[in-house]
Amino acid sequence: MADTCITCDVAIVGSGFAGSLIANQLSKKGIKVVILEAGPGIQPNINDAMARFYAASAKVPESPYPPDLADDPATVRVGRPTALTLSQSTWQNTSVAYLDQNTDDPNRKTRPFKSTYERLAGGTSHWMGLTPRLVPNDFQMKKTYGAGQPDFPFLDWPISYDTVSPWYEKAEAELGVSADADEQRFAGITFSTPNYAYPMPRIPPSLFDQRVGKAVAQLTEAETQFLGTAAPVTGLRVRSLPAARNSQPYRNRRACAGNTSCIPICPIQAKYDATITLNEATNNGVQLIDHAVASELLVENGSISGINYIKYDEKSGSRVDCAIKAKVYVVAANGIETPRLLLMSRNQIATGIANSSDMVGRNLMDHPQYLTWGLLPDPVFPYRGPLVTSAIGDLCDGAFRSQRAAFRISLGNEAWSATVGGTGGDPQTTTLDFINGLNASGLNKKDFTQLADNSALFGVDLTKTLGGLISRQFRIAFAVEQSPDPDNRVTLSSVKDALNLPRPRIAYDISDYTKRGIATAFRMKELIFSKLGAIDFTKVAETDPGKFNVDGIEVPLTYGGAGHIMGTYRMGDDPKTSVVNSWLQSHDHPNLYLVGSGTFPSVGTANPTLTLSALALRTTDKIVDVLPSYQ
Amino acid sequence: MDHRRKRNAEGAGPLAQAGEVSRRAMVAGTVAMTAVAAVLPLADTAYAENAEGPDADMMAFLLLSEALTGVSRQTLAPELVENKNEILSSDPGIDPINIKNAYFAWINANDATSSFGKLLQLAKDNRQSLGDIIPKVNGSAEDIKFLARSIVLLWYLGSWYKPDDLKRKVASPKVVSPKAYTQGLVWQIAGAHPMGYSNLQFGYWSRDPRDPNRPALFDPAKT
Repeated sequence: MADTCITCDVAIVGSGFAGSLIANQLSKKGIKVVILEAGPGIQPNINDAMARFYAASAKVPESPYPPDLADDPATVRVGRPTALTLSQSTWQNTSVAYLDQNTDDPNRKTRPFKSTYERLAGGTSHWMGLTPRLVPNDFQMKKTYGAGQPDFPFLDWPISYDTVSPWYEKAEAELGVSADADEQRFAGITFSTPNYAYPMPRIPPSLFDQRVGKAVAQLTEAETQFLGTAAPVTGLRVRSLPAARNSQPYRNRRACAGNTSCIPICPIQAKYDATITLNEATNNGVQLIDHAVASELLVENGSISGINYIKYDEKSGSRVDCAIKAKVYVVAANGIETPRLLLMSRNQIATGIANSSDMVGRNLMDHPQYLTWGLLPDPVFPYRGPLVTSAIGDLCDGAFRSQRAAFRISLGNEAWSATVGGTGGDPQTTTLDFINGLNASGLNKKDFTQLADNSALFGVDLTKTLGGLISRQFRIAFAVEQSPDPDNRVTLSSVKDALNLPRPRIAYDISDYTKRGIATAFRMKELIFSKLGAIDFTKVAETDPGKFNVDGIEVPLTYGGAGHIMGTYRMGDDPKTSVVNSWLQSHDHPNLYLVGSGTFPSVGTANPTLTLSALALRTTDKIVDVLPSYQ
Repeated sequence: MDHRRKRNAEGAGPLAQAGEVSRRAMVAGTVAMTAVAAVLPLADTAYAENAEGPDADMMAFLLLSEALTGVSRQTLAPELVENKNEILSSDPGIDPINIKNAYFAWINANDATSSFGKLLQLAKDNRQSLGDIIPKVNGSAEDIKFLARSIVLLWYLGSWYKPDDLKRKVASPKVVSPKAYTQGLVWQIAGAHPMGYSNLQFGYWSRDPRDPNRPALFDPAKT
């Protein structure tokens, strides 16, 4: 063990959503908290990040944040996966990609895990800001839909929606959620407080939301039979999505001005990110130690006795090995970095910390996204407003979940910015097409322009053509439930980072259950596009390492990453099949809490941040209760 | 006016805090700035210091850009004061963003085939008939034509696509500067704004665009 550099009541690894919320709540009670943050600390403002984003050629989610996208991950002390390392030529190349996605098992098909994250104070600030709740059946998949299916892959949560519901309300207050409670009463959602009102009114729908709302309001039973719902679907409602974006000034932050860059960064911080809570926490006396990488949890008599960490200097490269001692330890380092740390502590216990169940690192899940895009008959003016304002959520639950994955349908306001190939997405790709006589977007064809194919335009022809086409673009994404699979797994790679720590190795695939959900999403896409009178431009690249075929569908299908890293240290009542209990307390080590979406035994279709925040607040209460019993 | 909105947004935005020249500093420093802002004559234009005035090359650049981009020169150079007798003797003006000067300097520095002067000359020769510029550019040598495309891409996207890359149908664009990205014209042509750079207000996305930043378009057939 290294010299003890610091002692405190509660030591937290990671300053993202969960870590910041817990630190802040504890500090309000006068509890001495120290946070170890692997990356840079809180910046005085976001100007540097904005400048990096504006200047980036590829405006990927990671573009505003350090380290540099082009760096070899072996030379980076605190690496992270990026969207630029998911192509056929890069995803298994560990001199480009931080995650090692290679496999030694010839019997196992492995596909790219396509989600990314950040490692710096405030965690993954490039989140979208969407905060829907899980619905009641998401907590009890096996009980509700697994009857008569011994191999049904789902494990029920040890807590119900009703247990989490009051904590959702607290989390909605902390993050600052805009939504309309009446509009959100669907799929079994109720509110604990009578006449509950969200902190702010809902975000209004975009022109595209309104257009889709009209198109799907009335459907026929024959058209929707493929969904497999118990009751026929004869119309769908487009609902405003709850979002941690201010619809009015809230807690000293201003209202959303529709900058259309929730991902990767809100220029005015109208979108909540964890630096907001983290600033509050440090003002309350929480000590944030940045550039401090936790490398090993220490165990004594079955309890955690300390954390070894490496304090490094960005410029000089010098490092000091330290240890922190606390009464209670919280690891809040996300669904990949948390299991990595537990497994790195194998000198303490050969199988890794908190891993008597052998479930640490297993059941890695995402919300695989089936992304579709097209051209409307007339303009809806995309590239305006928050990236997503509305969704069709009502298909997230139903009897079909015994057979196939559910999905939510998110309506994008950023059109083709992340869909078409080419450098930088759209409108760059389409603009280059029409100026240089190319057709990477698919739009430079006589069918749409009445000009010759591959026209190269200047002047009024150019403004008219681009204005007419770009204003009609849209995208729709289907976020699909992924079933847990113990072979989808985070382990330790033999490749290292610049601190000589093993990088995460990922094995990942999607199950037939999830593929059936994506196939149904494909059919739903066909229906919505026909109702919109839209021309379909959805294309799966030949080179997409994730693509697959499904019987009955001629075109290949694929999935993207949602950035939702879940399941890798799941909660449950049974220590044999789960890592933590419902308080997110380790079954093996009573003074260790593992928080974040890695605790989700199943993932539903709701974006995870609100749920993990609600659970973190619940855990905080537990820690406050038990802390006096530790000396 | 377009530029007023942009100026306000710029003044309040993060870039201003990051060290951009403020309007006040700009006015106070006008004398000193002139030497920097003025466009140096190009070696291979015959018009360097003749009767057309000290900004003849910049004016030619604006006429060329107007014709090729389809966006009015008043949008490209918001503080432009025109000389009705001789357009090339006009004062292109200094605005707080002054992207035209940044682009002129960039093109001048990155014109590997010495085609920029020829394009400016073409604009000067056709200053009375701007509608002829596009057909003449399209009829020009490859080097000139592809540089013209690079120039339009620069105005539309704030990124530099090398003429040689365009010729070879490959792309490795470079965003010229954070400011250039935020001044890209294509967004406003589509009724939108650069992602991450808007000065509109809450809820605007629920309505059809009434964006005061939308550029005035240029159509030679209608002038």
